[in-house]
Amino acid sequence: MNFLNYIIRRLLLLIVVLIGVTLIIFALLSLFTPEQRASAFIRDIKQLEHIDSIIKTYGLDRPIFVQYFNWLREIFKGNFGWSTTVSRPAIEAFKNFLPNTVELALFSAPFIILGGIWLGSVSAVHHDKPIDHFTRFLSIVGWSLPTFWFGLVLLMVFYGYFRGLFPPEILGYKAQVFVESGEFVRYTRINTIDALLNGRFWIFVDAIRHLVLPVITLTTIQIALVMRIMRSSMLESLGKGYVLTARAKGAAPRTVIRRHARRNALIPVITVSGWLFAQLMGGVVITETIFNRKGLGWWWAKAATQLDIPAVLMAVLFNGALFVVINLIVDLLYAYIDPRVRLR
Amino acid sequence: MIFLKKRRIVLDFEQHPRLKEFKFSFSKILRNPLSFIGLSLIFLFLMIALFTPLIAVPEKPEEPFRIPHEGYSVVPKPPSPGHPFGTTTKQYDIFYGVIWGTRTAFRIGFMVVGSILVIGLVVGSISGYFGGIIDEIIMRITDIFMALPLLILAMAIVTALGRSLDNIMKSLIIVGWPIYARTIRGSILTIREEDFVRAAQAQGAGTLRVIFKHVLPNAIYPVLILASLDIGAMVLTAAALSFLGLGAQEGYADWGQMVSLARNYIVGPQGQPFLYWYVVTIPGLFILFFVLGWNLLGDALRDIFDPRLRRK
Amino acid sequence: MRELQSAESVLEIDKLKVNFYTYEGVVKAIDEISFALEDGDTLGIVGETGCGKSVTVLSILRLILPPGRIESGCILYGTKDSCIDLTQKNDEFMRSIRGNDISMIFQEAGNALNPVLSVGYQVSESFLLHRQQELCESVLNRIAEKRDRLSAYQRFRTWRYRRKLRKAEGNLLKDRHYGRLLKVEALRWSVDLLRSLGIPNPDEVVKRYPHELSGGMQQRVVISMALGCNPAVLIADEPTSNLDVTIQAQILQLLEDLKERYHSSILFITHDLGVVSEVSDKVIVLYAGTIVEFAEVRELFKNPLHPYTSALLHSVPHLGSRERLESIGGNVPNLVSPPSGCRFHPRCPHVMDICREQKPELYRGMEGADNRHLAACFLYQQEGVA
Ligand SMILES: Nc1ncnc2c1ncn2[C@@H]1O[C@H](COP(=O)(O)OP(=O)(O)OP(=O)(O)O)[C@@H](O)[C@H]1O
Ligand code: SF4
Ligand SMILES: [Mg+2]
Repeated sequence: MNFLNYIIRRLLLLIVVLIGVTLIIFALLSLFTPEQRASAFIRDIKQLEHIDSIIKTYGLDRPIFVQYFNWLREIFKGNFGWSTTVSRPAIEAFKNFLPNTVELALFSAPFIILGGIWLGSVSAVHHDKPIDHFTRFLSIVGWSLPTFWFGLVLLMVFYGYFRGLFPPEILGYKAQVFVESGEFVRYTRINTIDALLNGRFWIFVDAIRHLVLPVITLTTIQIALVMRIMRSSMLESLGKGYVLTARAKGAAPRTVIRRHARRNALIPVITVSGWLFAQLMGGVVITETIFNRKGLGWWWAKAATQLDIPAVLMAVLFNGALFVVINLIVDLLYAYIDPRVRLR
Repeated sequence: MIFLKKRRIVLDFEQHPRLKEFKFSFSKILRNPLSFIGLSLIFLFLMIALFTPLIAVPEKPEEPFRIPHEGYSVVPKPPSPGHPFGTTTKQYDIFYGVIWGTRTAFRIGFMVVGSILVIGLVVGSISGYFGGIIDEIIMRITDIFMALPLLILAMAIVTALGRSLDNIMKSLIIVGWPIYARTIRGSILTIREEDFVRAAQAQGAGTLRVIFKHVLPNAIYPVLILASLDIGAMVLTAAALSFLGLGAQEGYADWGQMVSLARNYIVGPQGQPFLYWYVVTIPGLFILFFVLGWNLLGDALRDIFDPRLRRK
Repeated sequence: MRELQSAESVLEIDKLKVNFYTYEGVVKAIDEISFALEDGDTLGIVGETGCGKSVTVLSILRLILPPGRIESGCILYGTKDSCIDLTQKNDEFMRSIRGNDISMIFQEAGNALNPVLSVGYQVSESFLLHRQQELCESVLNRIAEKRDRLSAYQRFRTWRYRRKLRKAEGNLLKDRHYGRLLKVEALRWSVDLLRSLGIPNPDEVVKRYPHELSGGMQQRVVISMALGCNPAVLIADEPTSNLDVTIQAQILQLLEDLKERYHSSILFITHDLGVVSEVSDKVIVLYAGTIVEFAEVRELFKNPLHPYTSALLHSVPHLGSRERLESIGGNVPNLVSPPSGCRFHPRCPHVMDICREQKPELYRGMEGADNRHLAACFLYQQEGVA
């Protein structure tokens, strides 16, 4: 009961955060003149003459809080606005793009988090030895790679040189047609999972082939983050008294590292992993753009550069919700790993 | 011999502790291979930025950041004596672009991180030193920034302000300051409780004096580490925004834009997949090495100043 | 092969030297110290903080980590007939010694216990590491006891267990199924052990985590971890320094009882002279990485020989006495560049010329006395080297 209470209280925080983030966006919107804000709704050079009527219809000349409450009222009615970039309601576009983003996040997060934990502990255990310098160097190189450039180079090699081995986009043409046909039931709309559920192995393979390059890109670039936190917390943990105690008991180095040091070291890693997962779910803008994977990041990038305000607000709302929920999960994991943590 | 040895030790003790600490840290930086590579890379780019007009002589000195181009042919041309790195689409000279792009990169890095640092220091000090309701409000605002999709926001801000490099910098400042304010506040809070600050206050030192003389010098290290890492990160983000077409007008010496220009020439024609390798690889490597330099330095600094790992 | 000097010793340290290679320079933490721990004895090691007490005992277990290194010397362990030099052994061999033959209680119980592992696991770990064979037998006995009450299928399963356990092949712990059997058994043993140390309701305690226990309780758990495998030598590194006085007395009493019960020899480290007078039979006084005095405990307090020891004794308040406390003048030396000759000479009131140039050996304290009272001080040179 206590536990449920805790979760409910944490989810109430969600509302606070969502109001906060949208208020900030509206505050930023107020920095612009109504004309500038109206430019978001202009699709055609001819409309420039009717700018006043656009301002009127969208209420852009009213005080900002009036606009905010108008907007809130619409949200509660379930109307998230019309996304001009994709010419459909924002909520529908969201539902459409979400599965592709989730798929990428689900496939890359394990590599980043588990790989980072592994590299970090190897690095810490061999502190200041060549292998430590080497893994750290590689991970920092990864962290310094410009995503857009690395993606392009990967495409150059694996799409150009290896003749389409790992193509961009989400599915090949044949697979795409098949997926959209009636024969294929879209349970989750996540292609890899649906393909397995439908027993269409070739579609699964096709989807995986399209996933390889984005996953490599994300892993190479993000792994450093997890790795370095793991490394420093592992180093700290290895210097603690309980590690000495374990060694004095006669435990082998492997046991000492795995059972005594690593679990303690994982505690700070959970925080970054949560943050990282939120980033992955919240739309990896550049990776999706480079590989032309039509997910949330791709949509929001386009929307932001065209001032598609409903879409940007959608991005803000979703990221805010993600932030709260993932923080909650992180806290629950904390309590699971560290018996000293009490949920209050 | 013994006499000399003793003298040295005596001198050691006479040094100001902060100076001694600095010397210790600096020698650690130089001894660590990774941070040494980082420092060398930064030094190299600094040299390029200093001697830019000598390395790539501008044709129009009044507009040095415009990359010269010969004709408008869209097909890139491979390296040749006149164009050591070849030309990208529309015949912009890659060599000229990357060399002058170094200055652009330094400008972005220093301007953005410098402004964020100043804003962060002011806001963070106010928040950390005075506490109470001001602190509460500022911290809730920064909390909320943590929950925002910052890249998308930055893109929207640039678009709203108008596409240009300066606006990219402005938008990065707008989304970037809260983290600094938070970090500075955090370290101020820890230091405010320490004995020497208490002692200074007890001796009747004024608030400003305490902040500037005692608190900030000790709170600044974590921020400087963050800043060093962020010069890389900001240049990277700015390049990404530039790449997405939010940057300066075409032909401006900016690495991100040069990668963007290469976009249609990633994959060569049938049978020659790497025909245009230079258009994308060269500007990308410049970004990579620049960012790598700062990241290596920042990472080493973080290890050196990590009190938990210090003097291991 | 080296031999133990005396038939009574279990552990002999001979000219042990330990250095730490740090950024500031080479820290000469231990400089050629030699001593012996006799069977069934409690040997106290006292000294100020930083004098090298912990480093000494950690090097016995070969737990000195880089940048530290054992430079030279022998650590002989065993009996007169068969003894081994621990400095020559590889890590795998040392692991079979640690926690089994020689075990250690650490300075701060709060730090010595792993916060994320249950007390039960931490106590039973040493059984799992060193007593697998016995655990297997115990499990077999338990199975045998209730064999008649089992169904045919269960009997078939226990038959499989027994076969595997009897062979105890490979590392059974790695096997998911048998590993669990052993762990359950080890936990039972832990409960018994905790109970025998006078911990109230041990069944509960094993399920708890260290932070849920009081300081005294934590220290008892740490002691039980060290005692699990009935070690021949127990090293206690300031086991009571962070406890309040009543708990401290209880823990000391406990150690006393345990010594009787398990016939262990104890190496007891402390900076508290009062504690050392209570528990030890003999005492070593360490100063800046060197032994300055060795004596039986009563003898030491009655008749301190070394100037450092007497200064130390004078700095302890005596109950009821109005004597002014004397502090030792000067500072603890920097071990990177320790004073030449006698390391105590900058602070010594009796300093002579020879003290600055030559390192004193351990000299016999009094005429007629055998090697029972030794001091590293040129004041006693005429009595001859021990
Ligand atoms: N890891 C290390 N690196 C460098 N020097 C060390 C290290 N460990 C110990 N030393 C040095 O060895 C000397 C002895 O340390 P040790 O821990 O044995 O002291 P101690 O007598 O146990 O003191 P305490 O009563 O505080 O526990 C100290 O002067 C210390 O500077
Ligand atoms: S040897 Fe000399 S300096 Fe050392 S304690 Fe004895 S008298 Fe003092
Ligand atoms: Mg100690």
